[in-house]
Amino acid sequence: MICKALAVIGVMTLFLSHPSSAQETTTQPAERPEKADTTKKEPEKTDTTTKEASSDATKREWRLSWENRPSVRYGDLVRIDVRARFIGDVRGSDASLEESDTSRLDIARRRVGATGTIARVADFQIERELASARGWRDVYVNYRGFDHVDIQGGQFKLPFGLDENTSSANLDFVYRSRAAALSPGRDPGVMAHGRVRTLHYELGLFARDGDNARGNDTQRVSGGWTAAARLVAQPFRSFTSVLEDFQAGVAYTSSDVPAGIADLRGDTAFGQPFFRPEFAVQGTRQRVGLEMRWRPGPFSMQSELVRLSNERRGQSVEDTDLPPLVATAWYVHGTWLVTGEQKTRGADEPRRPLFGGGFGSVEIAGRVEAVRLSSIGTGLPSRGPRAETILPHSDRVVTLGVSWSPNRWVRVQANLVRDTVSIPAGAFASGPFVDGTSSSFWSRVVRFRFAM
Amino acid sequence: MRAQLFATRLFVVAILAVTSTATAQTTNDLFEPGTLNDLRLFMNSRDLQQLRDTFEENTYYQADLEWRGIRVRSVAIRSRGHATRDPVKPALRIDFDRYVDGQRFLGLKSLMLDNLWQDATLVRESVTMALFTKLGQPAPREAFTRLFINDVYQGVYTSVEAIDSDFLSRAFGDAGGYVFEYQWQSPFAGEFLGQSLQPYKVRFKPESHALEDDTSLYSPLHDLFLEVNQPESATWRESVERYLDIPGFLTHVAVETFVSELDGLLGFWTMNNFYVYRPTGSTRHYFLPWDRDRSFQTIESSVMLRADENVLLRRLLEHPDLRAFYLQALETCAGVASQNGWLEQEIVARADLIRAAAYADSRKSHSNEEFEGEIGFLQTFARVRPGIVLAEVERLKREP
Repeated sequence: MICKALAVIGVMTLFLSHPSSAQETTTQPAERPEKADTTKKEPEKTDTTTKEASSDATKREWRLSWENRPSVRYGDLVRIDVRARFIGDVRGSDASLEESDTSRLDIARRRVGATGTIARVADFQIERELASARGWRDVYVNYRGFDHVDIQGGQFKLPFGLDENTSSANLDFVYRSRAAALSPGRDPGVMAHGRVRTLHYELGLFARDGDNARGNDTQRVSGGWTAAARLVAQPFRSFTSVLEDFQAGVAYTSSDVPAGIADLRGDTAFGQPFFRPEFAVQGTRQRVGLEMRWRPGPFSMQSELVRLSNERRGQSVEDTDLPPLVATAWYVHGTWLVTGEQKTRGADEPRRPLFGGGFGSVEIAGRVEAVRLSSIGTGLPSRGPRAETILPHSDRVVTLGVSWSPNRWVRVQANLVRDTVSIPAGAFASGPFVDGTSSSFWSRVVRFRFAM
Repeated sequence: MRAQLFATRLFVVAILAVTSTATAQTTNDLFEPGTLNDLRLFMNSRDLQQLRDTFEENTYYQADLEWRGIRVRSVAIRSRGHATRDPVKPALRIDFDRYVDGQRFLGLKSLMLDNLWQDATLVRESVTMALFTKLGQPAPREAFTRLFINDVYQGVYTSVEAIDSDFLSRAFGDAGGYVFEYQWQSPFAGEFLGQSLQPYKVRFKPESHALEDDTSLYSPLHDLFLEVNQPESATWRESVERYLDIPGFLTHVAVETFVSELDGLLGFWTMNNFYVYRPTGSTRHYFLPWDRDRSFQTIESSVMLRADENVLLRRLLEHPDLRAFYLQALETCAGVASQNGWLEQEIVARADLIRAAAYADSRKSHSNEEFEGEIGFLQTFARVRPGIVLAEVERLKREP
C-alpha cells in the first residue's frame, strides 16, 4: 500500500513539475490577492495574469485552460477551477490507537470540488469528501456586489478560530491544534463579511454550532441555531513595515443546547479519547476566542486561546442549576521556511521547485499547546452525569514538524508529537487512559499530500 | 489549579463529614428490624421519568440519598430485579462508590430497595430472612423503609443489605471471598452442564473478583456440579464436601421448605433466588438466600415437594445421615417457629409496624383488603404449619 501510494504521488509530481516550472518563470505575480491570506474560504484567485489570458477573458466563448489546475472559462463571466486533494498518512503512537488507525499508509482523504466566479460578483466553492461518510464539505456562494460587505450562504466553517479556518492545504502541522477541536467547524448558514479599513469582520447565523463537537452518537446533544462573529484587526496593514502582516482578533459564538448528554469530548492529537463522559447539559453554549498571527519574512508565529462553556441549567439532582461545563485550549506555534520563501506567500510555492532548478521549500515548525476540560464548580467532585464539580482532564502537547514542498502540488510533512494526558483520581477515564495517572507518550506521523 | 485544590479539599471535608456523622449511626440502626426508616432520594426529574420509562434497563442515574440527617451525595441508582421490576414502584439498587471513589454509606458500598411487588403482605421476605438468621444461616439484613423520591412518597420498601464484600466481611469475616449472584437463564436443577465454563459463566454473575479470569472464577463451580453428578461411590461424599457446605445447604433447603417457598432452591421454576459464596483459597461453596417474597405459599405442602427434582438435594438425601440431618433441620424450623408463637409474633409485629405506611402506599400492587387478608393467612400459616411439618417428618423418620 505504501509503495502504491508513493508511486501515485511520484508520478503526479513528475507529470506536473514541467508545466509548473514553465509557468512559474513567466507568471510570477508581484503580490497575491489578499497577501495570500490562507485563513479564509475566499477562493484562491489565480496567479496567472498573462496577456494572453487577459485578452482571452474578453472573448465570450467556453475555453479550457491549465492554470495550476484545470480551469474552464466563459469569457470573463464564468470561471470554474477544478480542485482535487489526496492525502495519505503513515502514523504510529505509543498510546494505543484504534485498530483501523495503526501504522499504515492509506489514502485517508480524497476530496474533489470546484471553485470559481460568476459574473465577477459571486464566488463559489463546492467540495466533496470521497473517502468518508461526511460527504459534502464546503458548499457555498459568496456575493461580493456591495462595497463593504460580502454575503455568503451555504455550508462552510463558522467564523471562529484561526487554526480551524486555515485551509488544510496551508496547515503548518499535520493535525490542527486542540484549540481548533474546540472551534465549531462547518454547518449551513449565512454570513456577512468584509473589510473596513484595517478591520476584517465576519458575522453569521448558522443552523447548528458546527460539526467538530458532533460525534457519531446521535443520543448526544449539540447546539442549535448559532450566532457567530469574528473581528480581526491588521493595524499596520497600510504601512510598509515588518509588522505589516501582524493581525489580532477576537471571535464569539453562542447557541442554545437542549437538555441531554453533552457532545463535547477531549481527544489527543491522534484522536485517542481521554474525556468522553456523560455529563448532562442544557442552556447556552458560548465560545470566546483570541487569536494572533505574525509572518515576517520566512518566519511566522501564531497563537490562539479558545474557551468554551456550556450551561447546565436545571441539571442537578434537585433540578437546580449546575456550574457550567468548561473547556479551554491554547497554543503557540512558530515556523521557519529554511529555504527562504516568504511565509505570506505560503510554503507550498517554492522559489526553486524540484525539477525546476531547486529542491523545493523546506519548513520547520514547533507548537506547544494544552486543552483542559472541567467545570467551574467547587462542590463534591464525582464521575456522575450531574456532578457539581467535574475534575479537570487535560492534555499538554508539544509538536515538532518539518515540511517539504517539492512543488506547489505536493507536500510531505513529518510530525513528532509528545502528549501528556492527566486524569485525576476519581474522574472519568476514557479510551486507553486510567484515572489518577498522568500519561506521557510519543506519536509520529508522516503525511503525503497532493493538491491542485 | 487553585480551584482544583479547593475542590479536592472540599471533597475530603465532605467525605469526613459524611463519615463522622455516620459514626453516630451504624448499619445496625439502618437494618434494625423494629424500625420503619424514612429514606429520601433526590434525583433530576428527567432522570426519574427516564428511569420509569426504561425500567427494564440497568441504566444508572445520579442521586442524593438522605437518612436521619445523613446526606450522601452523588450516589448511583438503577432499576433492579426480574419479575419485580415496575415503573410505578421501581425496585432500586443504590451504589455509593460508582461516581465517587471510596464513598460509603454507614460503611456500605451498596444498598437494595426491594419494592415488595409480589407480596400483598409486604412482610414475607422480612419474616423468612429472620427465620434464616434464627437458624444461624447467613442472610442479608433488611428493614422496612418508607421511600420518598423528590419528597413524593413512593411506598413501603425494604432496605436490603447487598450481598457483597461488606456482607462477606460481616457474615464470614472474609471480605476477600468470591460471591456470585445466580441469574436464572433456563431450568437448572443442579445437572452437570458440560466441560465448558460458559454455562456457569452465564448463570453465576460475579459480585467480587469480577476481573479475574474465567478459570479462577468458574472452575470450582464447574467442579461442584461435576462431582455432584458423579455415580455413587465410596469417595462421592468426600468429593462433594470439597465443593459444597452440605450442612448449610440442607438447612437452607429446610428453611425454604418449611416456609413453602415457591421460587427458591426447590422452586417451581427450578433453582432461583440465591447467591453462592466461596471463601478465599477454598473450593467449598455456601448457598445464601435472596428475595424471599414468594414464601408462605401452601400450609399443607410436603417437606419433600420437588426434592427429587433437584440433583443436589436428591443425591444428598440418598445418604441416611444426611437425610436425618435434613429432617432434623425441618424439626428445628418448626420448633423455632412455634416456640412462644415466635413466627406469628414476627408476622404481627411487622404488619403493625408498616400498616399505616402500607395503607398510604398507593403504588403497591395489592389492595389494603388483600394486605389484611394475606396477613391473616400468614398468621394461620404460622400457627398450623409447624404441626403439619412435624407430622410429616415423624412419618418420614419411620420410613426405611
